[in-house]
Amino acid sequence: MKHQNSIAGIILLGLCTIAYWLTTGFSEVPAMLSQNVPPTFFPRVVISIIAVLSMILLFTGIGKNSKSPEFLPRSFWTTIVIIASAGIVAHFIGTLITLGVIAIMLPIAWGEKRYGPITILAVCLPISIYIIFTLGLDVRFPIGLILEGLLYNQ
Amino acid sequence: MNLGFEYALPVLTDPYVIGLIVAGTLVGVIIGALPGLSSSMGVALLLPFSLYLEPIPAIALLSALYCAGTFGGSITAILINAPGAPPAVATAFDGYPMAMKGEAGRALGIAAVSSVSGGILSLLVLLFAAPLLARIAYSFGPPEYFALGVFALSMLASISGEAPLKNLIGGCFGLLIATVGIDLTTGVERFTFGVPELYEGIQFIPVLIGLFAVTELLSQAQELGRERIAVALSALKLPTLNDFRRVKNAILRSSGIGVFVGVLPAEGSTMAAMIGYNEAKRWSDQPEEFGKGTIEGVAGPEAANNAATGGAMVPTLALGIPGSATAAVILGGLQVQGLRPGPYLFEEQPGLLYGIFFAMLLANILFLFIGLLGAKVFARISLIPPTFLWPTVFALCFVGAYGLNQSIVDVWIMIIAGLVGFILKKNGFGPAPIIMGIVLGGLIETSLAQSMIIFDQQWSGFFSRPIAMAFFVLAVVSLTGSQFRSLFANLLSRRRKNT
Repeated sequence: MKHQNSIAGIILLGLCTIAYWLTTGFSEVPAMLSQNVPPTFFPRVVISIIAVLSMILLFTGIGKNSKSPEFLPRSFWTTIVIIASAGIVAHFIGTLITLGVIAIMLPIAWGEKRYGPITILAVCLPISIYIIFTLGLDVRFPIGLILEGLLYNQ
Repeated sequence: MNLGFEYALPVLTDPYVIGLIVAGTLVGVIIGALPGLSSSMGVALLLPFSLYLEPIPAIALLSALYCAGTFGGSITAILINAPGAPPAVATAFDGYPMAMKGEAGRALGIAAVSSVSGGILSLLVLLFAAPLLARIAYSFGPPEYFALGVFALSMLASISGEAPLKNLIGGCFGLLIATVGIDLTTGVERFTFGVPELYEGIQFIPVLIGLFAVTELLSQAQELGRERIAVALSALKLPTLNDFRRVKNAILRSSGIGVFVGVLPAEGSTMAAMIGYNEAKRWSDQPEEFGKGTIEGVAGPEAANNAATGGAMVPTLALGIPGSATAAVILGGLQVQGLRPGPYLFEEQPGLLYGIFFAMLLANILFLFIGLLGAKVFARISLIPPTFLWPTVFALCFVGAYGLNQSIVDVWIMIIAGLVGFILKKNGFGPAPIIMGIVLGGLIETSLAQSMIIFDQQWSGFFSRPIAMAFFVLAVVSLTGSQFRSLFANLLSRRRKNT
C-alpha cells in the first residue's frame, strides 16, 4: 500500500490532538501544591514528542510503497468475536464455564475437526484451572449471574 | 556492599524453591520451543501467579524461565525451522540446514553447550557488575535518573534497524499510558474518564498479557494451516569433542558480545544473537559455509543470546532500567511485588541478587541436560496443533489478567490491549517498546518533576550535572548513530566509485 507510514502518521497526529485536548480538562492544582510541576506538564511533553515523531513518520512515508495489506481470514474475525465476547459471557455463565466454551469455540473456529480432543480440552481446562487457581492459589472466579440466580433464588 | 548471601542461602536450599526453579526451567524450555510463544510472553503469563510467592522465589522462578525460554527457541529453530522465539532466528540460519543433513543432534548439542557457556559467563558478570553499578548509582540524583531514563528510551531507536522511529513512538506511547491515573505529586486525575478502576493507573499486568499474548493469538489466527515438518528423530546424534574445540572461540567471542549488548538498556537477546552470528561468520575460516549448516553458525548466536540474559539483568537490578523486553517484564514484576529496583534494591531485599544468580545458574545447568537428552520430547511438544495450544494460552491469559485484582475490568483491559497491539504490530510497531515506556514512565516523570523542583523550574540546571549530561550525549548518539552510519557508508561508497 502506498503512503502506509504517512497514514499511520496522520492517525497518530489525530490521537495526539485528542490527547492534548484531554489534558486541558485536568483539574486545577490546589494552591499549596502549585510549586510542583503541573500535572499537564509531562503528558504534554510526551504528546509533543509523539507529534514531532509522527510528523517525521508522515513526511518520510510519502510516496514510499509498503507491503500490501494482508487479507485477514474469517478465522481471524471469528477469533476476535470469541475473545471479545468472553468478557461479556463470563458475566452471565461464570469464568470457568466461559473458558470451557472457548476451548470448544476457538478450535472449531480455527478449523479443528477432531471433536474428541476438543471435548477433552473443554472439560480438562476449566477443571485444571479450578484445581490450580481456586484450590491452590485461592483465586475466586465469579460463577455468573445465571448460576447465582439458580443457586440463591431457591 | 553486603549482598546477603546468608539471607539467600536458606531460601535457595529450600526444596520448594529448587522445585520452582526446575519447574520454571521446564516451562521456559517448553514455551521457548513452542512457535509463537517467547520468553517475554512466558514471563508475562507467569507474572500474575508469581505474585503469590515471596519476592526471591518469585523472581528466581521468572529468571529461570527467562534464560530457559531463550534457549528453548533454538530447539524448534533447528528441528522445524520455526524459531520458537525471536532470539533463535539466527540459530535457524545454520541449525535447520544441519538438521536437514541429518545432524540435528549435533546442532542441538552445540546449541545447548554454547547457550550454557554464554549464560554462565553472563551470570558471573551479573554477580560482579550489578553491585558495582549499584554502588556508582548511589551518587545518582533525580536529574541523573531522568537522563538515564531518556538514554534508555533513546536506545529503542537501535533495537530494530527497520523501524527505529516506530520504536521511539511506541516507547513514548508507553510513557503516555503510564501517566493515566492520579498524579502522585498533585493528586489530579489524568485520563481516567471518571472510571474508578483507572485512578491507580492502567494495570501493568493485563496490558502486558494483552500486548504480548493476545496480540500473538490474533497473529496466529491469521497463519492457520502453516505446515511444520519435524526432521527424523532418529537423526539425533550428539556432537563430538572436536566439534566443541572448533567452536570454542566463537562461543567465547559471542558470549562477550552477548553480555555487552545485554547490559545496554533496551537491547536484548535478539540483537545479541544477530551480532553473534555475524561475528562468528566474520572470524570463521570458512565463512562461505554459513547458511549451509555449519556448527559455528549455531554456536555464535546461541552463546550470544543466552549471554544477553544475564547481561540484561545488570541494569535492570542495579539501575531499574530494563536491559531487554523480558527484563522489562521482570522489572514490572519487581515493582508489583512492592520492590524498588535500583541501587537500594540489594539493601532492601538482601539475597535477591544471589537468588537470581542461583536460579539462572541452575536453569543453565538444567537445560544443558534437557537440550542434550530431552530434545526428542521437546521436538514432539513443539508440534502440538495450534488449535489446541492457543485456547489453552488464552485461558491462561484470562486467568492471569483476572487473578491479580479478581476484576473483569482487567480482562477487558487485556483484550483491548491485545487488539491495539495487533493493529500496532500490523503497522510495524512492536509491543516491547511500549512495555519499556510503561515500565520507565514512573521513573522518568518522577525524576523529571523532582529535577525541575531542584533546578527551580529551569531546564538549564541539567547543564550543571555532568553525569546527566553524559547520558544526554549518549542518548543523542544512540538517536543519530544509525543516520551517521548510513551517511558514512554512503560517503565511503561514493569515494570508492570515484577512485
